[in-house]
Amino acid sequence: MTEEREGEHLLVSRIEDGTVIDHIPDWKAETVTRVLGLDRKAMMKANASVAMLQNVASRQLGRKDIVKVDRWHVKEGDADILCLVFPSITVNYITNGSVAKYSPSVPDLIHGRIRCPELSCISNAEREPVTSEFVTLKADRMLQCAYCDTLLGFDSVPEHVRT
Amino acid sequence: MMGSSGFTGRDVISARDFSRVDFERIFKLVDGLEAAPGSMDGVLGGKLAALLFFEPSTRTYSSFQIAAERLGMKVTGFAGPTGSSVTKGETLHDTVRMFEGYGADVFIIRHPKMGAARFAAEITDTPVVSAGDGSREHPTQAMLDLHAIRKAFGKVDGLKVGMLGDLRYGRTSSSLAYALSNFDVEMTFIAPDSLQMRSEVSHFLSRRGVKPKVETALKNVVGSLDVLYVTRIQKERIPDPTEFEKVKGLYEVNLETLRDAKPTLKVMHPLPRVDELSTEVDETDHAHYFVQAAGGLPLRMVILNLVLGGAS
Repeated sequence: MTEEREGEHLLVSRIEDGTVIDHIPDWKAETVTRVLGLDRKAMMKANASVAMLQNVASRQLGRKDIVKVDRWHVKEGDADILCLVFPSITVNYITNGSVAKYSPSVPDLIHGRIRCPELSCISNAEREPVTSEFVTLKADRMLQCAYCDTLLGFDSVPEHVRT
Repeated sequence: MMGSSGFTGRDVISARDFSRVDFERIFKLVDGLEAAPGSMDGVLGGKLAALLFFEPSTRTYSSFQIAAERLGMKVTGFAGPTGSSVTKGETLHDTVRMFEGYGADVFIIRHPKMGAARFAAEITDTPVVSAGDGSREHPTQAMLDLHAIRKAFGKVDGLKVGMLGDLRYGRTSSSLAYALSNFDVEMTFIAPDSLQMRSEVSHFLSRRGVKPKVETALKNVVGSLDVLYVTRIQKERIPDPTEFEKVKGLYEVNLETLRDAKPTLKVMHPLPRVDELSTEVDETDHAHYFVQAAGGLPLRMVILNLVLGGAS
């Protein structure tokens, strides 16, 4: 982890409270912030800050990105969704300077967080009180809409995440 | 008398949810009903069927209505959005809840949105029978299609079935493909690339070890088929009008296109037809679509009776 420390030291100071998402494939930090809903509005509201470290040297990945979110704990469920797209990620929650590791895992079912790409799906119907639901087909790296059966590759998830 | 355990209270949402054993049981009951047409009359007296058709329908609505009435049920609901509270913007959710309050014993639902039947089944504990949800599925149509195939050939196994036309947006073809995957059938999907079967259907079939052939022109395969299942290509599905004119002819079924067909080929169609199936085929031995359509009534009587746990 020397390289990472070096990267952090160079660019961003240590955080006391927040989340560090590490081992993100190189130049994918922006996708991570999008999937996690770390947009301006959310960050302003929470008085949180986001730092994206890109093209950091890594023994495991060669080059990688790191996202640090100060004063914001990413939801475990959101980290699990991120894991669909980037299985290499690791998540550290920092509270009063203490670090707790979280290993994201691919969920069996995903409720509400992903919009079905099929516009004619009932889960996209206006005014119907329906929450999207996807079943994970792990071996095929695909999600399947529980309502209309439409398939969605893991790699396409970022385009369909609800923020 | 066959019991109805395993079916009572069951939703009929996808042809995928039914096994070969289920289909064979249904067909045996339909055979029995066809042999003794009045044998189920009135068996569900006192029950209420709510037919909620959020999309206009003639034959499916009528066949469900007649089926329910023949079984002795009372029928309520609507045959299309016009004139119903749906035009005022009432949701599927609220409509189901309302008819549940009125004491519906079964919901028969057609809706333009894919997955609507599954959503309805989540809203209520009352059984939901899908009468078609968007481009997704039409499970009872697949059951009657399969029954019609069995009737024509005395079996389903070993047959070569071609599905022609708009396989992407046609809900009947996806349900039929799911249903046929329970049998030893060689399927061929004949459609332009843009209207080929949706990926989720192919994915399901592949997981079952079923590998349908894919063709773009009927003439390449017509001579090998036992069943040709024709569906309509809708002009609005093809963005380029010149492309539509080009493909239209390739998927038209008439005496000329059937010239190389086996004499025993059965042509099927979920109806209504427009130009894709010429009336000149009606007088040939190939025409099986009216027999197919007639099977809808006994099939739906059997399904309603099974779902409602009636004596059979």
